[in-house]
Amino acid sequence: MEDRIPGGYDNFVIPFLAGMAFILAYCIAKLIGIIMHMPSDDRKKLLLSLVNPRIIAKNIADIFSDCLLHVKIFRKNPKLGYMHMSIAFGWFMLIVIGHMEVAEFMPEKLHTFYYPIFFNYFVLKTADSGTALAVYEFLMDFFLLMVLSGVGIAVFKRFRSSIVGMKRTTRPLTRDRIAMYALWAIFPLRLIAEASVAGTGGGGFLAMSIYKAISPLMPESANVLPIWWAYSISLGIFFFMLPYSRYMHIPTEAVLIMFRNAGIRATNAETGFSLLEQYSCSTCGMCIDACPMTNIAEGEKNASVYFIRNLRYGGGKSSTKSIANACLMCNKCVAACPVGINSCELKRRYRSADYDGMPARQYGFVPSMETHPATIGNTAGNPCMEDHGNRISASYAIAGTKGQSRGVDSKPHKTASCKQNEDNVYNKKAIYFSGCMTQLTPSVSRSMERIFKAAGIDYSYMDRDGGLCCGRPLMLAGNDRDAASLIEKNTGIIETSGAEILVLSCPICYKVFKENYRLGNIRIMHHTEYINGLIESGRIKIRRTDEKLAYHDPCELGRGCGIYDEPRKIISAAGHLAEASENRESSICCGGSLGSITLTYDQRSKVTQAALESLACGSPDRIVTACPLCLKTFGTYSALPVEDIAFTVARSLEN
Amino acid sequence: MTPDINFGFGLSKSSRINLDNADNEKFRELAAREPDILKCMACGSCAASCSAGNFTELNLRKIILMLTRGAEKETVRQLESCMFCGKCILVCPRGINTRHLIKSIREIYCRPCAEPETGNGI
Amino acid sequence: MDNNYNTIIIGAGPAGMEAAYRLSVFGIRTCLLEKEAETGGHLLKWDRIFPEGRKASEILGFMRKRIESGNITTITSARIDSIRKKAGNGYEAELATNEGKKTITADTILIACGFKLFNAAKKEEYGYGIYNRVITNADLENLFKTNSTGSIIGENRTPAVGFVHCVGSRDEKAGNRHCSKVCCATAVKQAMEIKEAYPQATVYCFYMDLRMFGRHYEDMYLEAQQKYGIRFIRGRVSEVSEDCNERIVAKAEDTLSGKPVKITLDMLVLMSGIACNPDSGKITGSLSIENDSDGFIKYADSIFGQVKGPGIFTAGTCTGPKTLPETINEAGEAAAVIYGYLKGNSNNF
Repeated sequence: MEDRIPGGYDNFVIPFLAGMAFILAYCIAKLIGIIMHMPSDDRKKLLLSLVNPRIIAKNIADIFSDCLLHVKIFRKNPKLGYMHMSIAFGWFMLIVIGHMEVAEFMPEKLHTFYYPIFFNYFVLKTADSGTALAVYEFLMDFFLLMVLSGVGIAVFKRFRSSIVGMKRTTRPLTRDRIAMYALWAIFPLRLIAEASVAGTGGGGFLAMSIYKAISPLMPESANVLPIWWAYSISLGIFFFMLPYSRYMHIPTEAVLIMFRNAGIRATNAETGFSLLEQYSCSTCGMCIDACPMTNIAEGEKNASVYFIRNLRYGGGKSSTKSIANACLMCNKCVAACPVGINSCELKRRYRSADYDGMPARQYGFVPSMETHPATIGNTAGNPCMEDHGNRISASYAIAGTKGQSRGVDSKPHKTASCKQNEDNVYNKKAIYFSGCMTQLTPSVSRSMERIFKAAGIDYSYMDRDGGLCCGRPLMLAGNDRDAASLIEKNTGIIETSGAEILVLSCPICYKVFKENYRLGNIRIMHHTEYINGLIESGRIKIRRTDEKLAYHDPCELGRGCGIYDEPRKIISAAGHLAEASENRESSICCGGSLGSITLTYDQRSKVTQAALESLACGSPDRIVTACPLCLKTFGTYSALPVEDIAFTVARSLEN
Repeated sequence: MTPDINFGFGLSKSSRINLDNADNEKFRELAAREPDILKCMACGSCAASCSAGNFTELNLRKIILMLTRGAEKETVRQLESCMFCGKCILVCPRGINTRHLIKSIREIYCRPCAEPETGNGI
Repeated sequence: MDNNYNTIIIGAGPAGMEAAYRLSVFGIRTCLLEKEAETGGHLLKWDRIFPEGRKASEILGFMRKRIESGNITTITSARIDSIRKKAGNGYEAELATNEGKKTITADTILIACGFKLFNAAKKEEYGYGIYNRVITNADLENLFKTNSTGSIIGENRTPAVGFVHCVGSRDEKAGNRHCSKVCCATAVKQAMEIKEAYPQATVYCFYMDLRMFGRHYEDMYLEAQQKYGIRFIRGRVSEVSEDCNERIVAKAEDTLSGKPVKITLDMLVLMSGIACNPDSGKITGSLSIENDSDGFIKYADSIFGQVKGPGIFTAGTCTGPKTLPETINEAGEAAAVIYGYLKGNSNNF
């Protein structure tokens, strides 16, 4: 190979070079800005992550699978996954192989940014290049074809999004359209440009065959320059438009992954890490189909993609606020997001601005820890507490021992010591916190008490006579400051109770207890985990019936805390599990979520109906959930009986 | 000098709510932001089940009533003990969005210059 | 000829029975259909009827006697498999009865399928079906009938009993925005009956608005206060739990004093409201007449009543909550309109 053009330069590379220089400078400046706006602790985390081999390995693996191969999208939607993968991975390979090709044949030109991009124009193929070049030529054309196929799907998707299985797609802005058309133009132009010089620069199966088809019509390489100009200009436009369009996600996503792996999270909605999240949103619109609010008339306006776009481009403040306040915080969009942007957290942070300058809430009324009925040794004042304090441990101790031996027998495959450890959990004193909502669903708290008694657990019922809120509803509303004082009060009560396990019936409480309470050695369990443990260890025995039970994954329990399997195990022990059409990570919010501030009762009912439809898919006899709020919400509309999983177990108890 | 007639009641104000002087401006703003306030039929479910009402004077029904009478001073401070737990939403027979109502009351009555907020965007 | 009638009446509750009687007087042949094994509808479940406390059984006996007529064919345990307009005029219904399948035809149809008592278990916070001492108004009538209030209250001669008005009425969450009209009077009646059975009892009525409209109803209210000392608390019960002695703890706000109240009771009676009969949708659907969003059948005219559809008429609570006298009145009116229609006067809505 040798230079075809003396000096190896032509003016057409200027648009590309200018665009490249611009975007590099822009990215570096932004990155510095983002880092400067982060709390210093986060900067430290970032630095440490850059020298931690485990995180480095994870970064590389994540960047490869998420940014290039788009494995996450593939899993959910293979067609859409192919579209993203073909463009991203294909383009990446074109760049890498392009550079390798230059390094192989024209190493002295490697330092010029443009040479690998416009390689075919500048080189003259000589006879000595051999099979290596043929391999390069094949690979280059192969990946170009791959990109072109992806672009083809993308063009088609614009007009008919159903082709990739999306019901709805985002409404692109003009700026996005300009960048998009530039992107669409790049690869066909590249192909034509390369084909036009295939006679001199060589080419693979694709470029060469086009060259053979068009060369009789075109005089040798004389009129090819305009095509190369067009190719370079489309690249230039694309680079210039990057910071102002959705395509900024291309350079940002890898950085986001590194920051996230370093353990950095959003601390506000506008700067630092959240800015990185905003830039990483490709506005692919997968969150629109995911959002339960699409069931409400015009509800899709509230999809996360529009919230993030508003944040990024400074869209109307009132509309940003109204999206933030309408959101159910069900996290379904977060689970659907191929980039993993925690848009619900961004909205929560955005909401917090509403509390600036507001007087702090006052919770001085809370009963002192010494007089709280849940604290042991002080049950004399409350005649009802005696039954549920220490006395229970005595009367049920025998039953407990029996249960333990049964448990060992029923699970012979587990080693004895391991079994012992698991079972020990259930010999410990438990404190039961039913939560505010459960006071409106007595079937849940009563069932839990029956289960505790049947299993012979020494327990106390912390909020039998009404208690404090756990703080999560305030946090969902963005008010972390007031939530913190509730957390502090509850922590005190629980610590003085002497319990070693805290059992919760409400997933809303469970989430905040798991994430925001510091309870030392006290183990925090949702009742699905706890009951499943009781069943597996043989402490309780339940009858299995032929009933078909559909399980609804509550948002805060499933997507919020990752508890999907325990409730399913319990249901399979009590009957037949009938899965909903949208389950686990895709479960539809019941509509009752405390996450939304502004949705009206009628609007919520539309969400409820959609969730019930999904649950009715397996034609179940009953709907089972594990959240008092879901239970109440479904109860209003469901034609099928709805019950809490604790009730399912309590009514099937054999001991 | 104005005649200073003292009937033994000193300077204590009348306990009567004077509807003529009611400040309806803020109430109109509140009703525009959360129209659900107009749905209340004063059944008291919210006050009865209130988690904070167990321990404090907090009484949403009364607050709504007092606001419709234009007498907010004595009542809105009660909202400071609200834990935002949402039980009142669940028990309200009229389906009032009580949490948004409480948030709006605090924003309109407890902060001097609150930013305007539109509905829920739907 | 045997299975041809002038009118098919769907539902042999008070409305259906009264209309059948009125039509028989006019010489019109009717087929009175009842899905249950006995005629009487909700009257069967009730012990006494307000305002005077007449025995439901006595009223029912009187009504049953009146439908013993050659012009009336009563079929109980009847299921309507299909009902539709015949080609030309008239209607045809296919029935499943104790005597097997049967097809009947008629010129007109009177829908008198009534209401359904709201399922109080849907308001889980009241604990119906969870706590033994929480019962409904219908349960209490049954206890009165069988003289067994002691099965709930026990041996206690000084019990505390609470009545919760508006359970499943005036409640968007229950899907019923309407006032059921009869529960306030029923609650006051039942409260007085409790006092008669337990003179030492303390009885509370938790109401949102006491709707004792019309003649004699205010007298009942006055009597309840004056003679029986029933305590009326203006506030909706919002939460019910159980204490260690398995007595009921109800929470409400006494909205007049502005304080939350908590009360321990031996029995809590939920005044389940009048909800639409879901079966009416199946009938109206196949006759192409409309139900309102609340599930009750839609009137063609809000003042003159009746439904759209030639030869189709309604009577009683299938069009909304009504007291027994109102139901009887409407049944008589429906009979008159049907008579006019059959005589060629189709001047109705």
